[in-house]
Parts: sequence; C-alpha cells; structure tokens
Amino acid sequence: MTGGEDFRRHCVAAVLLAAALMGLALLGYSGRDRLAEIAILVIFAMSLDLLVGFTGLVSLGHALFFGLGAYALAGLTTMAKIPPSLAMPLAILAAAIAAFLVGILAIRVRGVFFIMITLAFGQMGWAYFQRSRTFGGIGGISGVGQPDLGAIGLSLANPADMALIAIIAAALVYLGMARVTASPFGRMLVAVHQNESRARALGLPVQRYKLAAFTLAGAIAGLAGVLAAERTNFVSPDLLVWTVSGEVLIMVIVGGLGTLVGPALGAAVWVLLRDYLSAVTPYWMLAMGLFFVAVVLFADEGLYGLAARISRRSTRDA
Amino acid sequence: MDIADFATQTLNGLQYAMLLFLLAVGLSVVFGLMNFVNLAHGTLYMVGAFVGFSVATRTGSYWAALAAGPLAAALLGAAFYFLLLKRMQAAGPMKQVLVTFGLIFVGIDAVRWIWGEDSQSILAPSALGESVSFLGLVYPAYRLFIIALGLAVALLLHLGLERTRLGAVVRAGVDDPVTAASLGINVDLAFFAVFCLGCALAGLGGVVAAPVLQVYPGMDVAILIPTLIVVVVGGPGRLSGAFWGALLIGMADTFGKVMIPDFSGFMIYAVMALVLLLRPSGLLAARHGS
Repeated sequence: MTGGEDFRRHCVAAVLLAAALMGLALLGYSGRDRLAEIAILVIFAMSLDLLVGFTGLVSLGHALFFGLGAYALAGLTTMAKIPPSLAMPLAILAAAIAAFLVGILAIRVRGVFFIMITLAFGQMGWAYFQRSRTFGGIGGISGVGQPDLGAIGLSLANPADMALIAIIAAALVYLGMARVTASPFGRMLVAVHQNESRARALGLPVQRYKLAAFTLAGAIAGLAGVLAAERTNFVSPDLLVWTVSGEVLIMVIVGGLGTLVGPALGAAVWVLLRDYLSAVTPYWMLAMGLFFVAVVLFADEGLYGLAARISRRSTRDA
Repeated sequence: MDIADFATQTLNGLQYAMLLFLLAVGLSVVFGLMNFVNLAHGTLYMVGAFVGFSVATRTGSYWAALAAGPLAAALLGAAFYFLLLKRMQAAGPMKQVLVTFGLIFVGIDAVRWIWGEDSQSILAPSALGESVSFLGLVYPAYRLFIIALGLAVALLLHLGLERTRLGAVVRAGVDDPVTAASLGINVDLAFFAVFCLGCALAGLGGVVAAPVLQVYPGMDVAILIPTLIVVVVGGPGRLSGAFWGALLIGMADTFGKVMIPDFSGFMIYAVMALVLLLRPSGLLAARHGS
C-alpha cells in the first residue's frame, strides 16, 4: 500500500464525514436517527475489517461483542445502578474480555473452521440472552442509562445530538484504526494474512497477533454496541442474532476488504439499500443476498476497490 | 431421573443425533473432498422439508414426500454446483463459502415467497402414528423410525465407502486429491456425486424432521448451527467423524436440557469448546494440519 493510496482513503473518509455532517444539518428527525444508525454500523464494520480485511480472520460471530457491549451497558446502568459515564468504558472492557476469551479458542482453528466456530459462539450468546431471566429474555432490557451531557449542551435522547456523537465517534475510530493498521503491529497482521507460514517462519508469534487483533476488534464492536444501546435506549437478543454478524460481514465485503473506508461506505450503502428495498418488497433479503453474491463473484475488491480502479484508469487515460 | 426416564431421553438423544447425522455427513465429506463448507446446506434441508410438505398435502402420502424432498434438494444442489461452485473452483474455498452464505438470505426469502410465513407440518404416516411399548417404555413409533433410518443410512454409506469403487475414489480424494487425480481418477466427478448425495441427505433430513419439528422459513439456520458443531467436533472429512460427532452432540443437547435446564442451549457449545481445546482438528480428523 502506497502513501498515495492512504491519501486517497483519507480523502474518501473526509467526503463521507462531510456528507454525514451535511445530512445532520439538513435532515429531519428520522433522517438524523438513521444517520446515527449508519455511524454506529460504520464503527462496527470497521472493527470487523480489522479481522477480515487485515488479519484474514473471517468471523461470522462478530455481533456477539456488539451485543455484549450493549447488554453490559444496559445491565450495569439498570441493575448495578452504575453511572452511565463509568458504565460505558466498563461495557467496552467487558466486550474486550469476552473477545479475548472467545479468541483463545477460536484462533486455534483456521479458514473455514474459523467461520464455523465464530458462528457457533455468536449463536451461543444469542441463545443465552434469549433465555436469561436476569437480562429479560426475549423482551430484553429497556431504559438504558444515558450519560448527562448537559455540561456541553447535548442530550443523547435527542437524535441530532446522538447522531453527532456517533459521527464523531466513527471519525475518531477511523483515525485510530488508520494509525493502528499503518503501525508495525498492523503490518504484522497483514503479514499473517498474506502468508501465515512465512510469518511463523520469521519468528512472529502469529497466535498472539491474531488474539490481539481479535480482542481489539471485539472492543471496538463493543463500543458500537454501547452506542447502539444508547441510540435505541433498549437492548434485546436481536442485537446478537447471526444475521447481524452476517450483515456486517456483507457490509465489509461489499465495501472493500482491508481499506477501513470501504466498510464504512459498505455500511452506508447497506442501510440505504435496505431501507429502499424493504419499502418496495417484503422479500428484500432475497435482493440483498443476490446483490452480495454478485459482489463476491464479480467485484471482490468491493465498491471502494471498484471505484478506486475506475478512477485510477481514468487518471491514467487522461 | 429413574431408569425409564433415562431410557426415554437416550432415545430422544439418539433420534436428534440421527437427524444431525443426515445433515452433517454431507457437509463433512464434501469438506474433506473440496475443503469447502456449504453454508447453504441448511437451505437444502429447508427446501426438502417444504417440497415434502407440498407433496404430502397434494398426495396425502408421507412416503411420496420422503421421495420428493431428497430429489428436490439433490436437483437444487446439482444446479448450484454447475451454476456457481464449478465455475468458482479456481477462486478458492473462501469465496465459495461466502457465496453459499449469501444464498442463505436468498433461500429464506425465496421460501417465504413460495410457501409463505406460516409454520407447517407433515403428518407422520399412519403406520407410524402410534406409540409402541417395549421393555416397559412407551415411545412414539415415528421417532424409532427416525433412529432406524439414520442407522440404516450410516450403514449403507459405510458399506458404500468401504466396498464400492466410488467409495474408494472418494477415500482417495479425501486422503490426497492431487495424487488421486494424477493417477487418472476423475476426482471432479466424485466431488459432484458426493455433493449431490450430501444435498439429497439434507433434503431427506428435512422431510424426516417435519413431523417432529416445525417446517418454517428459518428452520435452515436453526439446524445449520448444531450441524456445523457436529462437523467441527467430529473432525471433517470422515463418515465416522460425522456419526460419532452427531451422537455426542445429540446426546449432550438432550441430556443438557433435562439435567441443567438453565443452560439448556449451552451444552453443545461447551462440548465444542472442550473438544477444540483438547483436539483442535476434531475427534476423528481425516487429515492432520488441514
């Protein structure tokens, strides 16, 4: 990856951020709420990109950590009565610890097996929260505590403020992850992805790198879950069901693996396409599934990669 | 738990295990041959069940459904093989897995579209509709039929794999596909035959499960997860792995529900985690380090 490629990505990210802020200024109540949803999914998708795109660990259970972050926040604020400003970092920590523990087991297997294992662990979390009386079973928990942001004149109950905070969080996560992936640590993850035996032969502690990536990705997914719980003020097992893991994987692949900005784009495209299609037909998943299959078959570099290729060609031709 | 309860639960576990076996065996052997997992395997199970339901309602015959379900699943699998899988062989297994993953979404909505949202059921054949009593137990005859069918399929597959030419080709393909191909064995044809047989068995599982479990859009994912666990636990590529894995998971799930109901959904994941810790390549792996 060249410096020029990095620059191109930052430019696209800046354009996405500008579009989000413009939308925030212009859109109405539900539009702003949708913006907040997209920004949260952008964080979620970028966290999965660290695993799938950079480290080469295709996870189909990433919603587990998204849901755990949300449930931890709900549990800590409603049951343990911990102030939300303290509960939010604790919830992210809980997601990170869970990712660490699941990671220890999951990274023992590779490739297709890793998909199956993560899928199984994700469904385990879903099965647990569905039956758990402590966490409200299928009904979930409503009334998640919200931090008092009156000092800076904001309130998470207001969709415009919620969207603003989610967008800022997404921008910060993008910057942080761009740094991490460009660091020696990030380069090692890519080395593990490209040729695991070579990385191992070079003396790289491959399993430790994988576990670190899995834990970090879980923590960031936990942050997305925390924000999701704040946005809807409600958590339920639906946050962890396998389709959530599946959809976020689709966002990452459709947007463009290993580019961070691609998955961000993928998240936005997915939500907008879903809203459009589900208004037209009750069988929107069929169309989305075919769209995804088409992307995997014909454009495996994703929408971002496709756009980058076209723009490279046009600048060369000009 | 007294002895009668224990025996009843053992039969329940055995019945669930045989259902899992019908699904896991196709996935597992195909994985051994092609290094690829068809995540839409559950979709074939669902399609088999729904086609079986339609045939059973038209003809009133369970046995017609039992023939039609596997046939439909095998035909769908064959179409899928020629339209997508075969063309994608060069692209590597991960891309194939992702395509099958997209097809899960397509499958669920296609079934909703054709058959609607409601839960359906196929009536057990009248000959098996009653309960039978033996050894002081009263147990539904249909569930005994599932156990017998699963055991019969396992025995036939075992004999087919050990005694027939196709079986020898499949074993060679699992052990070392490159050498097998260079010896002039048509590995591709064996792939195709095994893939279609696996799909047919998934469809068979769908019809067989229909009188006991519900037939509904989404039943595919409900069975896919435990099936994947069976494949992982048993170690892929082996008939015996699928069989013993299914038995272990079927029993663990059934007895887990009875003995520790608070963690009922949990047992099979705990077993999987334990097996992975002790033997990362499964209990009976075909190839080491794969």
